[in-house]
Amino acid sequence: MTTTTPAVKAAKEIAAWTNTLGTDIDKFAAQTAALWTNGPSPLKVSPRDITALESMSKEFLGEHSFAVGAGVIFSAEAIENPDGVLEWWTARTQGIEKLEFDLTPGGERFYDYQNMPFFTSASRTGERSMWGPYVDYLGLDEYILTYTAPIQVGGKFAGVAGCDIRIRKLEEIFMPALRAIPGDAALINDSRRVVVGNSGAYLVGERIRYIPKDKQLFPIEAPHLGLSLLSSR
Amino acid sequence: MESFLASTTAFQAQVYRALPETERSEAIVNRISKAIALGLLKVGERLPPETALSEMFGVAPSTLREALSDLRDQGIVATRRGRSGGTFVVKQPFTSADVIKKWFQDTSIAEIRDVGDEHAAIAAATVRLACERAEPHEINRLLELARGVVMTDKSELQARADSRFHIELAVLAQSPRLTNAEIRLQAETVQALWAPESLTRNPEQVAAEHLALARAIANDAPEDAQQLVLEHIRHDVHHLVDAKLSLGYPTDQQERP
Repeated sequence: MTTTTPAVKAAKEIAAWTNTLGTDIDKFAAQTAALWTNGPSPLKVSPRDITALESMSKEFLGEHSFAVGAGVIFSAEAIENPDGVLEWWTARTQGIEKLEFDLTPGGERFYDYQNMPFFTSASRTGERSMWGPYVDYLGLDEYILTYTAPIQVGGKFAGVAGCDIRIRKLEEIFMPALRAIPGDAALINDSRRVVVGNSGAYLVGERIRYIPKDKQLFPIEAPHLGLSLLSSR
Repeated sequence: MESFLASTTAFQAQVYRALPETERSEAIVNRISKAIALGLLKVGERLPPETALSEMFGVAPSTLREALSDLRDQGIVATRRGRSGGTFVVKQPFTSADVIKKWFQDTSIAEIRDVGDEHAAIAAATVRLACERAEPHEINRLLELARGVVMTDKSELQARADSRFHIELAVLAQSPRLTNAEIRLQAETVQALWAPESLTRNPEQVAAEHLALARAIANDAPEDAQQLVLEHIRHDVHHLVDAKLSLGYPTDQQERP
């Protein structure tokens, strides 16, 4: 007979939540891609498309109240005009607001999105990707995590769609599962950085340099994200 | 009735002194001008609506309107009516030679040292955490920003590149609070550091110090990184003090025609 340990149970709960959101982000990406089905390549982003992207982002934010930002980022090669390359929206108390980014290379607050890990990774692998926790100094100016899925148009990578979640919100979401684990445990990301820990032993943002002898890594079954749970058995 | 004033020290009296509305309006003008100068608010960007602004600053609507009117008079913001209206940033505030000179005159050496002390405390912790928390691929960006000050010969761009590097250290430390503290500290001194009215600063030297610090972080050497950042800040403080003395206390030679 096999018994499910609290760590395994927590890993499953975290995976389920993450995969549900991942499916929604895939749908969001597919919905945006549908704007250009059978269109020319490179894509042309018209003002009407931007309005459509705004209402899709608004809908996504409305359905996922824990997300603080959502939108799309296009690959510069995939679109014809420089407008509409970064359509990212943030939830405000009333409605949503478009985030303005400095897209001039060498600019003071240049937002080098094509080198942001959540962009490069989705572009390289064609799969979902997650990046964070990070201080989004040039974007939302918040401590966040970004979760994206690639936008495929005509079988080609065109950009990413995704959302931002405040770390403090993620903490509320994952803490119940983590607190159910006896002893120190933490959800850690692909680069072994703590996303949420269940005690002061593992603080968000810290990197786990080595795995203590009494602990092990339980993979979180959320494909391509590289999440794992550090816990004793 | 017992007088509370009598039982408070001079320092405490400072704490409890009333905040005049004009001072608050000036503080808002300062805050917004500095944010633009540091690149936190960009030209073309729209400020939040007036009601939201007065709520965020915690001032009366009339005080806020006074501040905005002052910013408009200086040509820093413009207000447009209509559907896509609002108050927009239209110009980089021009930190005039007079403003820089006044800063040097009004700021005592003790105050300059004290800003340096706070910066040293913040930066020492920041670089140690950056060593622990930065990932290898994040280092490339830091190395790039480290050279920023030699990529231009305009002093205001050098000032921004300098502050940008220091803010990035706090970003690598994964700390929103340290990032905010660094932004505040940069806003206080970076323009004075690079202004032509201050003594000429050697950008090559500054870039070399930034690079050495970035490499220490890349090598995960917290002791070296801390020592380097403390020396770097000490150089900044010495520069500001020298600049102040050269402006405020002219040498005999300079005074003679």
